[in-house]
Amino acid sequence: MVAIEVAKPATQEELARTLKEAASAGRAVVPVGGGRASGMGGVVERCDVELQTTRLDRVIEHAPADMVVTVEAGITLEELQAELAKAGQFLPIDPFNSPGHTVGGLLATGWSGPLRLRFGSARDFLIGIRVALPDGSLATAGGRVVKNVSGYDLMKLHHGALGSLGVIVAASFKVFPRALHDMTVESHGGWDAAEAALATAMMPCAVELFSDGRVLARFLGSRDAVNHIVHGLGWTEVDSAVWAEHSRRSFDRWARITVPRSDLRRVVESLGPASEWWASPGAGMAHWRLGDVDAAIDARRLAEACGGSLVLLAAPDDIKRRLGAWGTPPPTLDVMRRLKAAFDPDGVLNPGRFLV
Amino acid sequence: MALASPVIDELRRAVGRDHVITSPDDLRIFERDGSIEGVAPDAVVLPANTQEVAAAMKVAARHNVPIVPRGAGTGLSGGAVTIHGGIALQVTRMRRILEIDPIAETALVEPGVVNQELSIAAATHHLFYAPDPSSQKACTIGGNAAENSGGPHCLYYGVTTNHVLGMEVVFADGSVRWVTGDAPDRAGLDLCGLLVGSEGTLCAITKIKVRLLRIPPSIATLMAAFPTIEDASQAVSAVIGGGIVPSALEMMDNVTVGAVEAHYRAGYPTDAGAVLLVEVDGVPESTRELMAAIRDILARNHGYAMREAATQAERDLLWAGRKGAIGALGRIKPNYYLHDGVVPRSRLPQILSSVGEIGQHYKLPVANVFHAGDGNLHPNLLFDLRDKGVLEQVEAAGEEMLRAVVEMGGALSGEHGIGLEKNAFMPWIYSEADLDAMKRVKAALDPRGILNPGKIFPDPSRPRAHLAGRTGFAAEAQWW
Repeated sequence: MVAIEVAKPATQEELARTLKEAASAGRAVVPVGGGRASGMGGVVERCDVELQTTRLDRVIEHAPADMVVTVEAGITLEELQAELAKAGQFLPIDPFNSPGHTVGGLLATGWSGPLRLRFGSARDFLIGIRVALPDGSLATAGGRVVKNVSGYDLMKLHHGALGSLGVIVAASFKVFPRALHDMTVESHGGWDAAEAALATAMMPCAVELFSDGRVLARFLGSRDAVNHIVHGLGWTEVDSAVWAEHSRRSFDRWARITVPRSDLRRVVESLGPASEWWASPGAGMAHWRLGDVDAAIDARRLAEACGGSLVLLAAPDDIKRRLGAWGTPPPTLDVMRRLKAAFDPDGVLNPGRFLV
Repeated sequence: MALASPVIDELRRAVGRDHVITSPDDLRIFERDGSIEGVAPDAVVLPANTQEVAAAMKVAARHNVPIVPRGAGTGLSGGAVTIHGGIALQVTRMRRILEIDPIAETALVEPGVVNQELSIAAATHHLFYAPDPSSQKACTIGGNAAENSGGPHCLYYGVTTNHVLGMEVVFADGSVRWVTGDAPDRAGLDLCGLLVGSEGTLCAITKIKVRLLRIPPSIATLMAAFPTIEDASQAVSAVIGGGIVPSALEMMDNVTVGAVEAHYRAGYPTDAGAVLLVEVDGVPESTRELMAAIRDILARNHGYAMREAATQAERDLLWAGRKGAIGALGRIKPNYYLHDGVVPRSRLPQILSSVGEIGQHYKLPVANVFHAGDGNLHPNLLFDLRDKGVLEQVEAAGEEMLRAVVEMGGALSGEHGIGLEKNAFMPWIYSEADLDAMKRVKAALDPRGILNPGKIFPDPSRPRAHLAGRTGFAAEAQWW
């Protein structure tokens, strides 16, 4: 959908003002970061103002000794990682369809990558957030310390909300020291090999399985331990550049399947031998090149039956309309709607795109 | 404010006649949590299951009566105190471990399950539950989830919210819902993440699905002494900056070390300005290599008298000193007030020196025992309740310490919660707009404000914060 107006505010305050002006005129606002996940979610019903965050690209503070960083939402993940690398640190997130994700976009979509197995998603190391609300206010929650129970954890509320409650303008993260040793090994043994890697005495930080049976496992930790474990597995060592290559992956039309991890194999195998996908067996996630609508309906039914979901990450509008982007709404939809109404009473943020 | 008899009757119908407490003598037992300020509830209900929780909630909603979920009552910020009276929703009859799934590495528990009991049960499957508040022998998983509790091993493993996969909750209207679940990234808002740590102000928790972790094959524990707190703080930063995140990194200052050593003979050098306990776990190759690297770093930062536990008994002794520190402080003064604040880790030396100065100013001995790796400090103000006016001094000193924490870019609480203790201080760290956003959440989920009123947000009827942090007779404290 083509926006009537594109706004590129240079400051958080300007962004909040732009949002307020649009909201008070009842105009629909679609926040955009790097655009790497722009196909996610339902068909946007209206887009009067496309609100781009990319000029909000400052590192507000990086305190290497505290291992905390605060950035504006429009900074790209690569720029942030480059800043952290100067101090031998990193943010343990490696989303697919990279490069070019902005921090705000990553938080809004809730996307993650292979490192999720060890580090969780951004929700697990996001320690503070600042959000512009449709009434023009800028609301902060959390802080810049690694452990904090002061007030409601609104970080969790905005993570994965696809900008439907407010526009993320800044965020603070707990960062991590680069590991002493980082080693990646490869096998072509399919699901069984992936299970073997996950069962090692030292939990790998990533295990990725591809539809052609290839498996990548990454181990972080002390040199002796990593060498010992890798030797025990007996796989082939590969260059860690495979991870950059993997994070660039995406399909032109694709879906994310998430299920309890003990159900993943069954659900993914049901996609059929000709299907193309990669899976994170330890996390219970798979990314699938969307098959035809009937196949997607079957896959979704199976995923939902075991408590999971199938969410469209990119698809033509007609397919999105037929399938629905999110699947069966959760039984807490009414609670979510009350929260939506509390933050965006006129429904001007990303109308039609999120579940609420 | 006594409850009208129809309310009591309805509560009896909701949970059974034997499980409603209304006699004033019995109610007094429930007037406090682990903190000093107490107001007795007007009734205590002890539901046996989710349906009874929902029924009790509906009674409260129908009559617009405050209702406050309560676990073991070990909380340190007044979270379970019925400050505006009403109903205490005591969940300790709901204490079944419903399921441990060794394949999925998860457990489903009722809210009254004691933290340590879960780890003991999971050990059969070589699994454990990571968050380990020092009260873990008594505190409940429900209380932990409500407060988003921490503990020494959260440095590496993360706090409660990182381990809760989903919950069954009862909202203020009595509706029972599952939030989130076993699968990651469910479509919709992360209600589970929002509700963990909401201190009983948004819902009552009736079931919790948690992640379990595999018990590490090897653990190494090292004690090291330092000439000064500054040296020890520097060593903490150097270890983590060196790419090593230990599973625990705890500090005790000289005052604590002296008291602990006299009591436990754990082998801490009493001439030390500070003692660090460092623990790493993993495969044996890893713990050996990491411990060697840690020893190097500590030595370069003036660490001395380093001793690594060679046996489980030695490890237990090293930890006994740390875990029993508060009790040992009874040698100095009979009472203590335990504070909780977090600063950016690099500010530790500075905040500790401020804390020391404030203690001196108020003529109160201060002992520091804390989670150094997280920058989460726990100053203990030591006093004798028999000294006239001493509580006011303790209160004033505590408030000044918290001010110092906030001025250094810190947070009001790292793991104890805001509750009653710090709700008046929330405007120190949050603007009106920030608090308004949080209040919108409260209004959306509990529009009539019946769930745990008077907590987290400044309470107009109680404009001053009160001394609510853990106080007690030091000699009685076996854990905290």
